[in-house]
Amino acid sequence: MNKQIQNHGGAREGAGRKKHSGKFREDTKVMRVPLSLVEQVASTLNVYKSQLKSDIEVLNPKFNAPRLSIPIFSSRVQAGFPSPADDHLEDQLDLNKHLIHHQEATFFVRAQGESMLNAGIHPGDILVVDKSLPAKSGKIVIAVVDGEFTVKRLHKYKGKVSLKAENPDFEDIEIQEGSELIIWGVVTSTIHQYA
Amino acid sequence: MPKPNQQKFALVDCNNFYASCERVFDPKLEREPIVVLSNNDGCVIARSNEAKSLGIKMGVPYYQIKNLMIDKSVVIKSSNYPLYGDMSSRVMKVIGYYSPIQEVYSIDESFLDLSGFTLNLNTHMQSLKVQVKSWTGIPVCVGMGSTKVLAKLANRIAKKYSRFDGVFDIDKLPSERFEKLLDSVEVGDIWGIGNKSAQKLKQISINTAYDFYKADIGIIETLLGVNGKRIYRELYGYSCLPVEEVTSLKRQIVSSRSFGADLSDFDEINQALTALTRKAVNRLNQSNLATTSISIFIYTNPFRKDRACINLSKTIGISTPVSDLALLIPLVSKLLRRIYEPGYCFYKGGVILGALTLDNSQTDLFECESTKQQLKHNFGNLLYYASELGNDRWLPRAEFQSNRFTTRWNELLKI
Repeated sequence: MNKQIQNHGGAREGAGRKKHSGKFREDTKVMRVPLSLVEQVASTLNVYKSQLKSDIEVLNPKFNAPRLSIPIFSSRVQAGFPSPADDHLEDQLDLNKHLIHHQEATFFVRAQGESMLNAGIHPGDILVVDKSLPAKSGKIVIAVVDGEFTVKRLHKYKGKVSLKAENPDFEDIEIQEGSELIIWGVVTSTIHQYA
Repeated sequence: MPKPNQQKFALVDCNNFYASCERVFDPKLEREPIVVLSNNDGCVIARSNEAKSLGIKMGVPYYQIKNLMIDKSVVIKSSNYPLYGDMSSRVMKVIGYYSPIQEVYSIDESFLDLSGFTLNLNTHMQSLKVQVKSWTGIPVCVGMGSTKVLAKLANRIAKKYSRFDGVFDIDKLPSERFEKLLDSVEVGDIWGIGNKSAQKLKQISINTAYDFYKADIGIIETLLGVNGKRIYRELYGYSCLPVEEVTSLKRQIVSSRSFGADLSDFDEINQALTALTRKAVNRLNQSNLATTSISIFIYTNPFRKDRACINLSKTIGISTPVSDLALLIPLVSKLLRRIYEPGYCFYKGGVILGALTLDNSQTDLFECESTKQQLKHNFGNLLYYASELGNDRWLPRAEFQSNRFTTRWNELLKI
């Protein structure tokens, strides 16, 4: 430790409260909250604070979460026996939630050719494309080469970029100098319907 | 520590929004001139920068510039509102991540309230710009200022000069430069100064934003009232117009179209009006509103001097607020039956639902809803009224429409 003795003004080192010693044990930020949400936010923070003290896992409620058709009670209690399953109700499974992580950035496109057959992409399949994901080497991407769309596996190696087909009958596309490559989005899943 | 900014607003505006939407799904159009036509392919409603620099003006009828566009190989698109609407909602949601207070001002513009933020706003808005582009493919520009009027002005600069990289804060401008800038802006281009106000101002030789800025506030108030005064104060950096998060209640819903062909047959016109009624009622139900006044109108083409012209319209009031399609569709047909005159070629028609109130309708105690509800449940969107079916000749022309890539399964982008 080399502590400098300061003779001039300004903040002294080590002065003030210790970092992260506040209620939330981390940096905080001032934010405007609409009046209608103040209670909700305050109660969330209170729950969070009390849980911090007891070191219990914190579950954050989702505001404006998409509406799902979740049955509140699966069985009507008329006079008889209540359903033993009522106590174990869970959210129904939602494919949208499973397949789409950035709703605003996700687009569906329809595959046409057979160049990606071995990657499991058949003609007519629906591809789920996320435009927000970084185009890493090895990902299947929707690329635009000189204005034309194509779906291929992106390959970056030693500064060279190529688009690999997943079918021996098709040739890879080497990106030459002077031609333009734009990665439009990353394919995150394929929907192949059998019936 | 950076000082919290007292008052700060941003206006985020999409660059040539309709043309940009078309480009997302057809990258070949990236540097091509694009023109988007209004409903029924009537006139130009949007242009890419390339089309602007060819001298194609906003609002010109398509047939007048058809030849020019072929000569210069301008790409022509019919308006594709399902696509633009969906892209807009994506863009607006991403913009909304950057401030808890957002006002969606139009299909391609949004205000953000950035007051009290302690972070570097320029960086904050740069990352907004980058994120919107990367997530949706739509380029945007951001103008910032201590009032909404100034933010709007700043947006012009951000768009015009590429050296600001799409984000410009007008409060950073020294006052001489600010005044010089105002001098280059026409008074009618200040946000909030409409055509009529601009004309009034020009009569007392206030022609530029600078003239307006230097004018006496008393004169402005006598001429334009309190609204003019507000805009004046906003130019001086006093915020008078807050970001409005909740849009005020709609006053009326208009659903009208120019028909794809001239119609004179009653059934054909009835089909058009029925379909338009359905659109209007959909919007009514979405906003949870009910109507107590219905108007319908049909016009002949006023520009066809060789034919007899006629404007027919009819309005009726209803004692209890209505929001039910099954009540409104027969009503519209009845109204049409009353005003319809044979022998004319009608080229435009529409339905206006007015005097809107919140729909907390008490259904009739003795009315049995269950049959209707059951039908709706069983058939959903497949259920049509007989008058909605016909030869579809009324459907507006949309000869150059691209696919509705994001709202129809059978129109997805093919790759």
